[in-house]
Amino acid sequence: MDRRSFVAGSAASAAALLTRPAAAQEAYPSRPITVINPFPPGGAADVVMRPLVAVLEPLLKQPVVVDTKAGAAGAIGAQVGANAKPDGYTLLAHITSISGFAEVDKLFGRTPKFTRDNFIPIARFVADPCVLIVNDQQPYKTLKEFTDDAKKRPDEIIYSSSGLYSALHIPMALYMKAAGDLKLRHLPTNGGGPALTALLGNNSQALASSVSACLAQIKAGKVRPLALFGAQRSKALPDVPTMKELGYDIEYYLWVGLFAPKGTPDAIVTTLRGALDKAAHTDQFKTAMTNLGQDLDYMDQPAFQKFWDADAKRIEEAVNQIGKVQG
Amino acid sequence: MESTLVSLLHGFSVAFEPINLWYAFIGCLIGTLVGVLPGIGPLSGISILLPITFGLNATQAVIMLAGIYYGSQYGGSTTSILMRIPGEASSVMTCVDGYAMAQRGRAGSALCIAAVGSFIAGTFGIVMLTVVAPPLATLALKFGPPEYTALLTLGLIFLAYMSSSSLIRTLLMACTGLMLGMIGIDNMTGHFRYSFDLVELGDGIGIVPVAVGLFGLGEILSTPSKNVTGKVMAPKLRELLPTTQEWREAAMPIARGSVLGFIIGIIPGSAHIISSFLSYALEKKLSKHPEQFGHGAVAGVAGPESANNSASTGAFVPMLALGIPTGPITAVLIGALMVHGVSAGPQLVTEHPDVFWGFVASMYVGNLMLLLLNLPLVGMFVSVLRIPYAYLYPLIIMFCIIGVYEVSHSIVDVWIMLIMGVFGYGLRKFGFDPAPLVLGLVIAPLFEQSLRQSLIMSNGDYLIFFSRPIALGLMLVCIALLAMSALSFFLKRNDWRTKLAVAEAGET
Repeated sequence: MDRRSFVAGSAASAAALLTRPAAAQEAYPSRPITVINPFPPGGAADVVMRPLVAVLEPLLKQPVVVDTKAGAAGAIGAQVGANAKPDGYTLLAHITSISGFAEVDKLFGRTPKFTRDNFIPIARFVADPCVLIVNDQQPYKTLKEFTDDAKKRPDEIIYSSSGLYSALHIPMALYMKAAGDLKLRHLPTNGGGPALTALLGNNSQALASSVSACLAQIKAGKVRPLALFGAQRSKALPDVPTMKELGYDIEYYLWVGLFAPKGTPDAIVTTLRGALDKAAHTDQFKTAMTNLGQDLDYMDQPAFQKFWDADAKRIEEAVNQIGKVQG
Repeated sequence: MESTLVSLLHGFSVAFEPINLWYAFIGCLIGTLVGVLPGIGPLSGISILLPITFGLNATQAVIMLAGIYYGSQYGGSTTSILMRIPGEASSVMTCVDGYAMAQRGRAGSALCIAAVGSFIAGTFGIVMLTVVAPPLATLALKFGPPEYTALLTLGLIFLAYMSSSSLIRTLLMACTGLMLGMIGIDNMTGHFRYSFDLVELGDGIGIVPVAVGLFGLGEILSTPSKNVTGKVMAPKLRELLPTTQEWREAAMPIARGSVLGFIIGIIPGSAHIISSFLSYALEKKLSKHPEQFGHGAVAGVAGPESANNSASTGAFVPMLALGIPTGPITAVLIGALMVHGVSAGPQLVTEHPDVFWGFVASMYVGNLMLLLLNLPLVGMFVSVLRIPYAYLYPLIIMFCIIGVYEVSHSIVDVWIMLIMGVFGYGLRKFGFDPAPLVLGLVIAPLFEQSLRQSLIMSNGDYLIFFSRPIALGLMLVCIALLAMSALSFFLKRNDWRTKLAVAEAGET
């Protein structure tokens, strides 16, 4: 246990003892649990959480309800999660982008409404690496050809993303920095679907997409994968080299994890971890993830905490690298 | 062509399986309800029911969810016509002439025309979807930001035709709408604009709360100051059906609305919302009696109601043929498919023919079900008007609040609706028509985004709007329309609008 969660945990236990002595004896969970989904229904967090709660309910012997609080690219749901009562009855499902909100706020001189410190990570379920794709009208067959051409024609090749500082903007920023401050032109859209549509219509030429979102288009030959942002090659795309193999020390995943508000008692977190571990490893949940085109990539709290810290560092750097856009 | 027929027959064999028929029916029924209830739109309806479909198979799931979507376009007209409350964003225009028809005792007729128009348009959309989906889908991809900008420019010009009041009042409303549309995060730079530190305003002001507030609440609030005679407007059974004359007036608008709506529906993004607005403007422009619009013109109901239905079918074209989620609703549907291991992509037809053709065939069946479901309901819906206002209106306000809250579980949306209700009351008192405001609000964020995206693509060169064929074509239409207006201005011809302004001036 690191110092942060130790302090947070003990402070919370003390608070719980002082304010609600009766509740401390109450076995957790004794009433329904709410999981906040900060994205629209059918979105990245929703499709993981729905099958998860289905297997979690019989284990916890309490209903687990997914409550959608969408808006502001996931910031509203995260804020609700951060301010929820830390009693283990309100949890937050979130994705990679949870790490960037506070950094963007700082960039604009706004006081962040929440930071990473407001959350206790509990578990990570899937981590879908991004893949750099170009449309079939582009000549590039390898990342090298793409990089070389981009160097020759700075600021001319257009890449689309799901929005400024969004989950699909960050990986391109990482790549551009690693390739020696490459200059590409950014076309923000308002979601992963529109970003892919822009690429297919050749309104943009490149996109960093999650593998599951563009696999069907790759198989149909409409887009060509150049490099994978994962540490290892993807099972679905065994021929696509990783960025690391190509000499760029970058990694980027769209992961989905579960968080509790800061101050949630340790005992409750332990109960949840046990139940989640079991739930995530059921065949039913594994099949559900395979259907989504992602394999279960489970991480329990200690591993997830370590992964999250490293991941957040990359994202914070990328946000600052993008900086404020002059418009 | 022959293979299409064979596949379609196979699709029907899937769609006619009792269990699939059942889910199509459930979808259509819920869709109708979702459409009727103000505030709750197809997106929230589908979202609420999405978890249920996880227990079904992929075909059943998509049949049911799609049924909710196109079913809601049928039901959306009901409250618009009876109470001037738009059931959906795409039913806003129906509030204007549909409600005016109801006030003249032609509520049943308006509802019938809306239902039949929806059926014809919906069926037309599916036939097109069956026959020409693949080539049309490629066209959808050609519709990038510059084309979008050109289309919305056309929309801006049509704004002037949106209301039955004078030009200056119309433009005042339109500008208010455009300004409200500027609220929210600037997508290009990440700055918050006019959000007063409310995160909820970051996504901008929703169309549904504004439309429900301005039209529905505004109308309800203005009722107490009107002379409410105890007499109920509910007509007799015979009066429920449209007259031959009304059918004749509705025929061409339904045909034009079907074609226009389908084409606009294909365009990726949220273009389908403007299909009903554009259809209304088109009908008014083509009509021999534009002065009737706003006072119960049959074409003002038939056109937009047909357009929004075929647009909802058109939206499936890029989703099915290309496998890309072009809008929020198709994104949820693709999510529902993915949960079942069906990855939507260009190969959906070949990899999952059962899902694809079963889904297409189910829409033929679904549309028929909706017609059979909605026509008998006309009588029942009209009877709602028999309920005394003192009981009816509080109930409606309650439904509005629940519906608007349900969209994104945001209390801020409820406040927006209530404030807009008071504003709508004021507008009604001073004779302003809120329709242009709603269209302005729809257009502003789309227009800004596509304009700035286009300029990013061209590196700031405005010629991009004239160098791509589709964009050029739309721009030429815009120029022609403006030139025609300018001509009549210079020739000082008194058209209906000038007469209106004179009449308005005389009133005050």
